[in-house]
Amino acid sequence: MYTQVLKAQWLAARLPVVLLTVLGFALPLLTVTYGGSLANAPTDRVAQWLYASQKIGVLIPGLALLVGLLLGIGAWAADHAGKHVYALSLPVPRPMYVLLRFAAGATLLAAPVAALGLGSLIAVLSVKLPSGIHAYPLQLTVRFALASLVCYAIFFAISIATRRAALAVLGVICGVVLADILISSLDLQAGAVVTGWLFNVLTTWPGPLAILMGRWALFDV
Amino acid sequence: MSHAIETHDLGYRAGKHFEIRDLTLRVREGSIYGFLGPNGSGKTTTIRLLLGMLRPIKGAISVLGRKVPEEMARIMAQTGYVPERPHLYPYLTLEQAIRFHAAFYDGFDLPYAGELRRGFGLPLAQKLSHLSKGEMGKLHMLLVLAQRPELLVLDEPTDGLDPVVRRDVLSALLDFCSQGSATVFISSHLVHELERICDWVGVLDDGKLVVELPMQSFKNGIKRIRVAHAPSLVGDTPFVLLQRETAGLEQVWVVRGWQPPMVQWFEGAGAAVREIVDLDLEEGFVELLRSSRTPTS
Repeated sequence: MYTQVLKAQWLAARLPVVLLTVLGFALPLLTVTYGGSLANAPTDRVAQWLYASQKIGVLIPGLALLVGLLLGIGAWAADHAGKHVYALSLPVPRPMYVLLRFAAGATLLAAPVAALGLGSLIAVLSVKLPSGIHAYPLQLTVRFALASLVCYAIFFAISIATRRAALAVLGVICGVVLADILISSLDLQAGAVVTGWLFNVLTTWPGPLAILMGRWALFDV
Repeated sequence: MSHAIETHDLGYRAGKHFEIRDLTLRVREGSIYGFLGPNGSGKTTTIRLLLGMLRPIKGAISVLGRKVPEEMARIMAQTGYVPERPHLYPYLTLEQAIRFHAAFYDGFDLPYAGELRRGFGLPLAQKLSHLSKGEMGKLHMLLVLAQRPELLVLDEPTDGLDPVVRRDVLSALLDFCSQGSATVFISSHLVHELERICDWVGVLDDGKLVVELPMQSFKNGIKRIRVAHAPSLVGDTPFVLLQRETAGLEQVWVVRGWQPPMVQWFEGAGAAVREIVDLDLEEGFVELLRSSRTPTS
């Protein structure tokens, strides 16, 4: 059963998976290319490497978010289109079917994660770093894998509901942000309090998005 | 006699205007049960209730001797379901769809699926999104028959198909039924189609079961009778009076459950039977619905 669900999910999501895999492979190599070009400058080479690594590094949690979003929503797209009638007619308990879908999607995460790991390894091996700078390819890959899994789980959970419920969740989020912008534009004391508080709750441990925060750098001191 | 499907006092409501009311169904094991009703009468809703896709607000359902919805996974392992509209994943090829479906059923008969596919002329490498409506109908039938189920629940399986495809699909169904003792529950508004294949019939109208009886009784028992000197008050009759209309000096009665000796009842009431006309199934069905909507006094 799992193999067939995985196969079906792959066929449905292969284009985004391939694109995300290419991106995952390219980002570490981009760090090296960018860092290398900056390091030719006559200024401090260590600082230039750190600057390049941090500059490209911020894209990596963004990629994790994108991986989670596309695979999480993609996991249910076909069933939503058929109003879940086919899935409900299959002889498996509903929690089991959800688990099968989740596991298949989580397996597909392996492709961009492996690509990022491979890209990081090649990037590290292809460059001679100045003393004081260290490479963290394994740590970056593991962190990317966890961040992708967390984002995937969040979007999987949101999109498991009906389209109306998913839109309601997104609507509430947009509403809060808009209300906050409005309050800020009216120059009230409460400006940015709501979104600021919400952002803190989500991104500070134990918030679900805490893993996306902090420094994401292939090269660091 | 045990029943493959049994509902008791089933109730369901969707919105303000639609409800299933006190639905009690009994589908005998091994029968081919035609579930007739006009569009919007609640056939699909009833089927979704039977298969645990919707939750009733009252009543009890048992399918293949198991409780719905508690034992749904076991019930579905022995049930083949063809929905009203195709819901298979359109990005799969025919071969992938068969393999996907087969993975969920222990007894899925792949050689039989291959045989049916060749018989239906379905191209193995074709994507489902490129299949015609007829081909999709055949594929659905192929998938459920190759499951070798004990119960087949078919929701308008031939609706919108051309006569050739319809014949292919129904022939495959009848072939399958002749090989074993599967129960078939088939909904349709195409009366003539069910007339050929069903041995029991239930008629649903506006969420209410109007009648449930053997097909033979349904076919033979509905008559249009021209009556002279008809009594103004009917009282107890040995038949069910569905409709009565005045036509000149006479009246035309439509009755159900007619037997020839019942002529004596008219004679006893001082009336005379001028003519008795057999109604075909479709006419009987229409009269039945008319009478259920405007009850005769």
